[in-house]
This record gives sequence, structure tokens and C-alpha cells, in this order.
Amino acid sequence: MSNVSLVQRASNSARLRRNLSIGIRLVIAILLIIFSVFPVLWMISASFNPTGSLATQTLIPPNAGLDNYRKLLTSQEFPFWRWMWNSIKISSITSVLSLSITTVAAYAFSRFRFRGRLTMLKGILLLNVFPGLLALVATFLMISQLGDVFPAFGLNTHASLILVYLGGAMGINIWLIKGYIDTIPRDIDESAMMEGASDWQIFTMLILPLLRPILIVIAIISYIGTYGEFVLARVLLKSSEQYTLMVGLQIFAGAQFQQRWGVFAAGALLGALPIMLIYLLLQDHIIGGLTQGAVKG
Amino acid sequence: MTVFTPSVSDKTKTSSPILGLVGRLAFLVVLDAAALWFVARLMSLGYFPFGAAVSMITVAVNLILLIKKAYPLRWMVIGLVLMVMFTIYPIVFTVWVAFTNYGEGHLVTKQQAIAQILKAKYLPASGQSYKWTAFRSPTGEYALWLQDSAGNGYLAKPGEPLLQPQPGEAGIGQLDEKGIPQSIEGYQRLNVLQAAADKTLTEIQFGEAGKTIQIRSPGEAAELLPLYVYDEAQDAMINQETGVVYRNLRGSFTAPGGQSLQPGFIAPVQFDNFRDFFLSPALRGPLLRVVAWNFGFAFFSLLLNFSLGLAIAVLFNDPRFPFKKIIRSLLIIPYTVPALITILIWRGMMNPQLGVINRTMNTLFGWSPPWFTDEWWAKIAILLVNLWLSYPYFMLVCSGALQSISEDYYAAAQVDGASPWQQFRYITLPLLLVAVGPLLVASFTFNFNNFNLIYLFNAGGPPIAGAPTPAGHTDILISYVYNLAFSGSRGINYGFASAITIIIFFIVGAITLFQFRYTRMWEEVSENV
Amino acid sequence: MKKLSSLFALIVMMSLVLSACGGGTPAPAPTEPSAQQPTAAEPTSAPSPTQAPTAEPLETLVIWADDTRTPILQGLAESFQAEYNVKLVVEDLGVVQDIRSQAIIAIPAGKGPDIYLGVHDWLGALVSSGLVAPLDLGEKKDAFVPSALEAFTYTDGKLYGMPYATENLGLFYNTELVKTPPATWDELLEIGRQLKAAGKVEYATAISSGPLYNALPLWTAKGGYIFGKTESGAWNPQDVGVDSEGFIAGVAWLRAAVEEGLVPETFDYETAHSLFETGKAPFLMAGPWALDRIRKSGVPYAIATSFPDGGAPFSGVQGFFVNPYSKNVLLAQAFLTEYIATEDLMMQLYKSGNRPSAFKAVLEKTDDPDLKAMGQAGINAIPMPNIPEMGSVWTATDNGITLAVTGKMTPEEAMKDAAKQIRDLIAGALAGMVNLPGTWQDQVGCGGTWDPACQASAMKKGEDGLYRLTVTLKAGTYEYKVALDGAWTVNYGSDGKQDGPNYKLELTADAKVTFVYDPNTHLVTTTIE
Repeated sequence: MSNVSLVQRASNSARLRRNLSIGIRLVIAILLIIFSVFPVLWMISASFNPTGSLATQTLIPPNAGLDNYRKLLTSQEFPFWRWMWNSIKISSITSVLSLSITTVAAYAFSRFRFRGRLTMLKGILLLNVFPGLLALVATFLMISQLGDVFPAFGLNTHASLILVYLGGAMGINIWLIKGYIDTIPRDIDESAMMEGASDWQIFTMLILPLLRPILIVIAIISYIGTYGEFVLARVLLKSSEQYTLMVGLQIFAGAQFQQRWGVFAAGALLGALPIMLIYLLLQDHIIGGLTQGAVKG
Repeated sequence: MTVFTPSVSDKTKTSSPILGLVGRLAFLVVLDAAALWFVARLMSLGYFPFGAAVSMITVAVNLILLIKKAYPLRWMVIGLVLMVMFTIYPIVFTVWVAFTNYGEGHLVTKQQAIAQILKAKYLPASGQSYKWTAFRSPTGEYALWLQDSAGNGYLAKPGEPLLQPQPGEAGIGQLDEKGIPQSIEGYQRLNVLQAAADKTLTEIQFGEAGKTIQIRSPGEAAELLPLYVYDEAQDAMINQETGVVYRNLRGSFTAPGGQSLQPGFIAPVQFDNFRDFFLSPALRGPLLRVVAWNFGFAFFSLLLNFSLGLAIAVLFNDPRFPFKKIIRSLLIIPYTVPALITILIWRGMMNPQLGVINRTMNTLFGWSPPWFTDEWWAKIAILLVNLWLSYPYFMLVCSGALQSISEDYYAAAQVDGASPWQQFRYITLPLLLVAVGPLLVASFTFNFNNFNLIYLFNAGGPPIAGAPTPAGHTDILISYVYNLAFSGSRGINYGFASAITIIIFFIVGAITLFQFRYTRMWEEVSENV
Repeated sequence: MKKLSSLFALIVMMSLVLSACGGGTPAPAPTEPSAQQPTAAEPTSAPSPTQAPTAEPLETLVIWADDTRTPILQGLAESFQAEYNVKLVVEDLGVVQDIRSQAIIAIPAGKGPDIYLGVHDWLGALVSSGLVAPLDLGEKKDAFVPSALEAFTYTDGKLYGMPYATENLGLFYNTELVKTPPATWDELLEIGRQLKAAGKVEYATAISSGPLYNALPLWTAKGGYIFGKTESGAWNPQDVGVDSEGFIAGVAWLRAAVEEGLVPETFDYETAHSLFETGKAPFLMAGPWALDRIRKSGVPYAIATSFPDGGAPFSGVQGFFVNPYSKNVLLAQAFLTEYIATEDLMMQLYKSGNRPSAFKAVLEKTDDPDLKAMGQAGINAIPMPNIPEMGSVWTATDNGITLAVTGKMTPEEAMKDAAKQIRDLIAGALAGMVNLPGTWQDQVGCGGTWDPACQASAMKKGEDGLYRLTVTLKAGTYEYKVALDGAWTVNYGSDGKQDGPNYKLELTADAKVTFVYDPNTHLVTTTIE
């Protein structure tokens, strides 16, 4: 940081330019915010609109009210909090476990040289490319058979869903983390190794702390991905109290878009709150300034 | 490569003392025992493919934990096991399906189909059909009160000839208004539902041997004979009433002349699905057009989404930028709301008659884009919606990856008098691409197969005029061919869909491998950092 | 640094524990028939005191329902269990359409429900796939509306479902703007024209997405049809009518109305409804599912008792299906005929479902004027074809109508193209093949007999338009037929008629046989050398 400010202090015109650039960037920011927030405002107004339909509604509904929220939170049909809890639980467990799997694997890919290493990395990418329409049928069959032996991992359990999600843990994120680890100079490892540290010690004590920003990014991405997934969850979960939020909303509110549009919007907005909260809590760790110095040559 | 590369043997020496080996062996013993039991259970239930998969996984895990050279793989063994089960197994399944006729009309296995066909019964010419009422003794034995079409009542017990008793005889009580005894001595009268709750009831053969009566439905019991007999040598069903032989023809028991028995079953069809694709109008059709748009869509999506995400990450990466937290939080919003709902919101906003965008533009300019009826505007709309949905992802990824770039580079560059653009061009971009390059490839391929967006937004419309198969201007390969696979004359055809899936995979896979030329370059860069 | 890594380890451990106790517990509600599991599989907990006095239910019936019917069926569970000691588990799958896609996966895997809800036009796919068991309603048959039962009767003459409701489109009109409903389509347009000239409305009417279904009364009024019928009254997939004169006339009429600005050029559910509900269009074609919404909007409306020009809507019948692989087929059937097919329950289904009942006693008591009017307008309704070939029709026809109405093609071109697409899809990949399936096929390398798709026995078209095939056969008696397009769907017998008797061929010695097929007479002549 000191370097940057030194350079700045050196020149007055630089400061002027900087203010100008901040001004321009603010204008850009406002335009972008309008673009990104406008459809969501639309959704918010839909959630307060007791009668409106998707196309005709106005930004401020004429008879705005909390009807949809009341219906969502009190109706017998919507065990909303239960769904939300299910979603939070499944997403948290999945993102933490998949992050662990991914990080450890990425470390091995970055630091060890072994035969088939590049092939495996490419293979992981190629697997991502396979159009997975039939995966649904195969996964259902597998989980139903697994459940006949271990009912705890059978259909209609959260454990089975988490397992299936973890099947995708060895995915593209490995590349991201590996790329990040690649930028950490090996001198660090080597000096530690001289002192007799094992690979695991080097990984947990030296490398892991340096990975914080990218790990948080990936945790958020994987959390959001799991939270919003409904195709697999829909097929594997069958009883209302086991549903995730997305499945529940899709089945109960989405079933009748016309009548329950507002309820659906309300549910989706409330459901987005935990993600927003997580992002707000963690964003300091991924925005510039706080982590610099962690990676040093 | 200038970097020191530790050899594998070095590694194992430092990190696996004898104790580790003993622990590993103990772990393997437990694991193998558990796996053996698991496989045995799967096999006993008839789940052979799954059982085979588990066996292979177990062998692989053993090798990984025992062979020294496989040391690096130990770091990822859990991930690999799960990947094999839930990513690779479904792919193998898809490949298998591509060589079968699996789909509507052929959904069940041969055994299931045979079982169902054998259930069919017929009433021989001399046979009788009755209405039935069940009676049950405390020990669980059944007697039936049968009534023929003339209204005569009979008493039927398993293994005994039919009786036609009057009230008072054989323990029969008074008849009610329907002619059914109110009681039979030693038995309790059941209504249909009470009787049906016992699922063995339909198996019981009432009456004497050779003229047995079975319950066929809630309203009928009759002297039934099985309609079909399965002849294993001929692999055929033989109709006992007419003598017609139904031979197995690619998953349907088919009679000479073409009548086939329902249901059909899953059967291998060799390369038929692939042949069908190459013969089908799909190929003569707008395939090239669809492929061209598919590449255009994936490429422009990537370009737009990544550029915007990167621009935001770089522009607001400055720690002293005012309101940066609020700005970034607002910009992430599109990512936090499920796409399922926001795609529909966009649809509504772009509605030509009623949508807010079109109404506003009509008021301001007297014109608005025909998002759903014009080919080019439809494409622009799709790209716009996809941009909105995806730029926060790249904003996140780039923000994270930017942290790996040391401040020292910028400091040095500033001393050298580099402009912000030069810093971006020669420091940020190349270093960032090292980290996110593979993600770009992945994102390209994801959009290449982005079925959900197309399907939810406009289902591929507007239609292409004069196409030999139903297709739309925004159809991408996957939505176009799945439409074909699911709208054929027999409904959903998983076999055909799988064959096409595999063909698509070869196309996209080839592109991906081609792109690796660049990722390899990135990797070499990374080795030298 | 150390802190972070230990935190990391802690989180991993905690999540493992969590997933083991939280995610790992099986669902509280058993979702499969209990009969599936051996008794030892579950730890038998002591029956809770709140439960019915009988300890364990004898059997479990699982029902898949949509979200409208779930509460009603769920409401039966308690009394049903008390009465028969059978547990009723009702699972809500959302919209009816989703039940089909889930049943296709779950039933063959042995994880299907015992009973599921569905619509009659699935019948072709369900029967040919073996996902539905025949149903015998016995005496209850007379309690149902005959046309509804007919809809659930497949071409094999068997009944496969128990109907509970019917639905068809009705013509809604705004009573403030229109006094009497129009008798012809031109009159409807004229009313709209005058109202628009007076500045009272923007359009005459608007059509929902899926114009084939949602404007069928227009196409049929002009004489259009989808499939013709065979002599026996079954749908004939070889006779596609979307390019019939009447159909083209209907599309041309609509195109003219769009050009005049009286009908919007996009087909959209939201648009159509919003325009009607806000009084901007005086007419709307919509079904009973829209009643709630239209009533809520407060627009003054009535439903015409017939469509202009005697047009006919599609009718759909909803009903219950029984899974043939259920462990309790008899119980499921008895549950339907004894417990559901009662006036009381059918009344409940009617009241919540807002659809005319398929149960006579309830239909007679229907006092809702809207449903009555809709029912009257649906007297000539065409049941949605329940043959699998219907799957090829929807997209192609909707695309054709869209292309014509948006002016991209003339109505005639567009509908001719659509019909060609449909015929190609129905004929399949081997369209154009002329084959001679019969008992001689295994001698030319077909690997079997009576195979209409064998390449080795396919005939070749000569320049004179006749098809020829020459083979060498051993002495013997042979039978064969002519089959087109590699399937049995179109086949001709020795009388040159569809499904006619087999040709017979007697060879006293090994011989070279040349078959010649004339596509005009559908007859085969043979020459023996």
C-alpha cells in the first residue's frame, strides 16, 4: 500500500486524474446497478402485489400488501422455514465438503508431478462438457439401489442428495484453485521441507491460509449453485418435509404460476436473503486491500 | 522448466512412516470387508452394473493406497470415488442407453415385461365368470361367495369343489338383498377393501383342481387360464387361446403380421440410434444453422459475461473506492436470486404488448424491439438475459483471482510510468488468465449446452421458416435435437437422445481439447511465476 | 495461519457429523410400500399412543397427486387407516404434467406409487411402456360419463384409468361490451372491429401460447382436423390433417385478423388473459383452470354455450391410474372403485378442482353456470388423441401457425411444411423403406423373421416407380407381407389392403425369386426362376 500512496503523493495531477476516474467509475456503477437491480425490483413489487400477473404489474402495485408473505409463511401447504432450513443445511454441508475435496486435490495437482496428471486435469474438464440429460435417470436408479442396501442414503434423504452433489466436487474449481496455488512460489514449500515438514503440514499450515480469498469465492459459488439446484433434488426428494426451498417453491408456487406468482416471488426473495447475508459477511475477504501481502515473492 | 520438481519417491519417504503403512493396511481391511458385503448385497438384489462399479472402485482404492507411485492420488481419493459414482457412471449409463431402444414403449426390463404379460388371463369358452364376496376365518383361510350372471350363489373354498348351498346348509347364514350370505359359520364376511388389503388373495386358487377360480379384479372372479406362455427356446410368447407366436423383435414380442404385445422392453439395437440420426431429417434440416448459432451464442455469452464481470472486478477492486461494498453487493444480486424465476421476470418485462421495457420504449420512441418474433432481436434478448444472469459469477471469480496478483508488480509498473491501461493489459490480464483460463473454457461449454435458459425464455423460438424439422432461430444444438428425440412418433426416446448426446459430446469435446492449446500455454506461464 | 487451518479442519469434521445425523436420517414418512422391505430392516419403535389402536398398518398405498387434489386425498388418510388399517401416503408432485415425467423414471425402477393421477392422452405412451394396469370398474361403470370412460379406453378395448374430471376450452366474452355471443368467427371479428373503432378495446381477442390447442375451435370451425379416423373409429396417424383445406383456411383467417390489427401476432398466455381481464379485448378462449383468475380480476364476463361456427375444442379427461408393478394392485383398484368412486368424494374433487365432474351424479348437481356453459360448448369436443404419434404434432403445428400468422410464410406454405414435418417424424428414420417381412428373411441374413426394418430384405425402387428385390431361397413354404417405413404401422396384405392376410409362397425347389411391389396397388407379384 505504501508504494501506491508514495507514487500518488508525488503528483498533484495524478490526484486530479484519480478523482475524475472515481467519478466516471461511479457513473458506470450507477448504470450497472440499474441494469442489475431493476428486474429484482420488479420481483419485489410482484411479491407485494396480491393480484397482479407477471406482465401487467406496475412498479408500485396499486393495492400493495403483505398477503403473499402471509400466505407463504403461515399456509399449511408451505412449510417454508423447514424448506429453507433444509436448503441451508444441504448447501452448507455440500459446499464445505466439496471445498475440502477440491482444495486437497488441487494442491496435489499443483505440487506433485505424476504420470497422467495433465490427462486427469483435462479429463475433469471434458467430463464437465458431457451433456447430462440422462444423468438424471442414471442417478435416480443408482440412489434407489443404494437405498435398498443403505436406507439412510436412499431416495428421499438429504444424505443422498449431498452425495450426488459431491460427485461434482472434482470439477472445474480444481483448475481455479490449482491456478491460484501455482502462483505461490515453491520456495516456501522447499524451505519448510528442509525443516522436516510433511506435505500435509505444508498444505495446512503454509498453503491453506494463503488460499483464503479464492476459497471463499468458491465456497460462495458452490453454495449458490447448490442452493438453486432443483432438477436433481426434485427427482430424489419426494416428501414435502424433505424438500429444499427451490423444489418446494417450484412445486407449490410454481405449479400455478398464474395464481401464485406473487407467493413464488416472495419465497424466492426470502430465499435469497441467506445468500446475500453470506456475501455481505465474506466480501471483505475477497475485495482488494485486505489480503495483499499474503502472497509475497 | 526451471522449477525444482521433487520426485515421487522423495515425497513418500518424507511423509509415510511405518506407522502410516500399518494404519493404511488396517483401514484397507475394514474398507474391503465393508465393500465386499456391499457388493454381495447389491448382487443379491440383482443390481449387477452397480455392483460391478463398486467392485472396480474398491480395487482402484486399494491400488491407490498400496502403490507408492499413486501417492498423489491419495490426496483426492474421496473426490475420485464420488466422481466415478456420480459423474462417470451416469456417462457410462448414457453410452449403454445409446445402443438400446430405452424410451417410452421400452422402459421396463425384459423380465418385468414378461412378468406383466404373463399376468394376462383369459376366460376359456367353457369358463364361468362370477361376482365375488370374500369371507375369512380367524386362521386366515378364505372362502368366496360367488354369483354368476343368472344370480345363482356358490360357495368356493381352496381345493374343494364348488357348492351351491341354501341358507342353513354348510354354515351359510341368511342371504341379504343382494343374495350374499350375511354370515358363514367360522368365517367373517369382508367387504372388497378389507379383502383386497391382503395381497395374497389374488394368488389363491378356489375350487377343485383343473377348474380353479381366481380373483381377477374387485368385481370379478373367474375360471381363468394364463393367456400367454413364455417359450425360452424361441424367445417368444405363445398365445394359449389362438396359438399365435409372438417373437422378440427388438424389444417387442411381435406376431407375424405386426401385432405386438404391450409392454415392450429395453433391448439392444446396436447402432440403430446413430443410423437414425444420420438418416433423419435432422441432418438435412437446419443443423448447420443451429450449430452456427450455438457457437455464436456460447462465444458471445462468454465474451460479454466475462468482460463485464472482469471490468467490474477491476474497476472496483481499488480498496479506497467509495461505496465499493454497497456497489458490489448490489451488483451481485442477480446471482443470488434463482434463475428459474428471473428468466420468467425478463420474459414478462420483454412482453411485446404489456412488458415494461416495450411499453416504455413505445411511449418514448414509438417503437420497441420485437424480442419474440424477430430472429435477431430474439438472439439479442437471449444474450442480454444471459449477461444479466452470469456476469456476477465472473465478477466473483475475477475478484478472487485478482488477489493472487502481487501488489509489487503494480508498484514496479507505476515506477516505470505505466498507464492504468498498460498495467491492466500487461499485468492484470495475463496473470488473471492463468487462473481463470480453464474457467473460460468451462463456461463456454456450459453455455454451449445451456438448455434451461433457452427453454425457459422462449423455447427456441421464433420458428425457422421452411425447415424440414421443427426448429427455432434461438434453438441450440441440445434443445433442437432433444426436441427431435422427444417428439418422434413413440414419445420420449432416451436411446436416440443418448446417441445424439454422445455425438454432441464429441463435437464439444473436440473444441475443448483444441482450446487446451491455450490452457497449456497458461500452465507454462504459471510454472515460471 | 494456524488458527485458520484448524478452523478449516473443525468445519469439515462438524459437517461430517451433521450430515451423518441430520441428512442421513431416513424420511419420517415411509414412501415406499412397506412390503418392499424385510421386517428386520427397520428398528420397530413402540407405537406412539396417539396412533390408531392397531399397531402397524397392514399395507401402504402411495398416491402421486397434483397440488389441487393432494389435500383432498390426504384428508382421507386418517379415516381410511382407521377403517381398513391401510396407510395412505399422498405425495404432491406439483402440476399434473410433472407426474408423468417422474413416473417414467420411478415405476420401472420399482419405486413408483401404487396409484397416480394423469390425463387420458398419456394412455398411448403408458400402455406401450407397461406403466399402467387395466382397470375393471365393475358395476361402478354406469356411474361415469360414458365419453370420459371412452377417453381412458385404449385401442385394445381395455379400460386403463378411472376418470374424475373433464376439461375443455370455453369462449369468454365481456358482458359489458358484448350483449350476445357471436354465431360466426367473422361476427366475432366484426364486434371487435366496431369496439376498436369506438376506442373501447385494443383487440378483438388474443390467443394463448400453443395455438393448436388454444384456437382449435377456430381450426375445426373452418373444417381443419389433426388426425383422421380409421374405419373402426380409431385415430389414424397416417392421415394428418393440419394441411387440410379447412385448417389452412383457419390460419389464413387468423393471419388476416392479425394484419388488420384485431389480434396480436404473438401467442402468449399472459397477454391473452391480461387483455381480456383489463377489458382491452372482448373475447378470450380459456379453460376452467383460468376461472379463478378471471373471476378475481373483476371483469364482467359470461361464457358462450357454443363456439362460433360450431367449432370444437379439445377435451381432456383427468383420472387415476394404477401402477402394474404395485405390490397391491387389487387393493389399489378396490380403493378406487370402492372409496374414490363415491358421490361424496367426487363432489369434493369437483369443488376444489373447478372442472366438470366425470361422475354422473355429481355432474347432474353441477350448478356453476360457467362450468355448465363450458360443458355445453364442449359437447362436440374432440378428445385429445391418446396415440403416441400425437407427440409429433404439437411443436410442428404451433410453429407452422406462428410462421403464417407473423407473415413469414403464406398460410398454405406454412401448414404444408408443418404437415410434412409431422409425417416425417411419424414415419421415422426409415421413411421410404419398402420391406417384405416374412418367414424367409432369416435366409438372407436378417437374423430373424418378420422384421420390417431389416436392410437385407429392403426393396429397391426402379426407374419405372416399381420396387424390386431378388433373393435365392431354399425349397419350402413361406409367408410374408409388405411393410413401409421400416415399421409395421403401414402394412399391406395379399389383398392389397392395410393389415390384410399374409402372402403365401411355395417353392418346390431352391429358386431365385424376384418380388415386384407396385406402390399404387400395394400388391406384390413374384417371378420364380
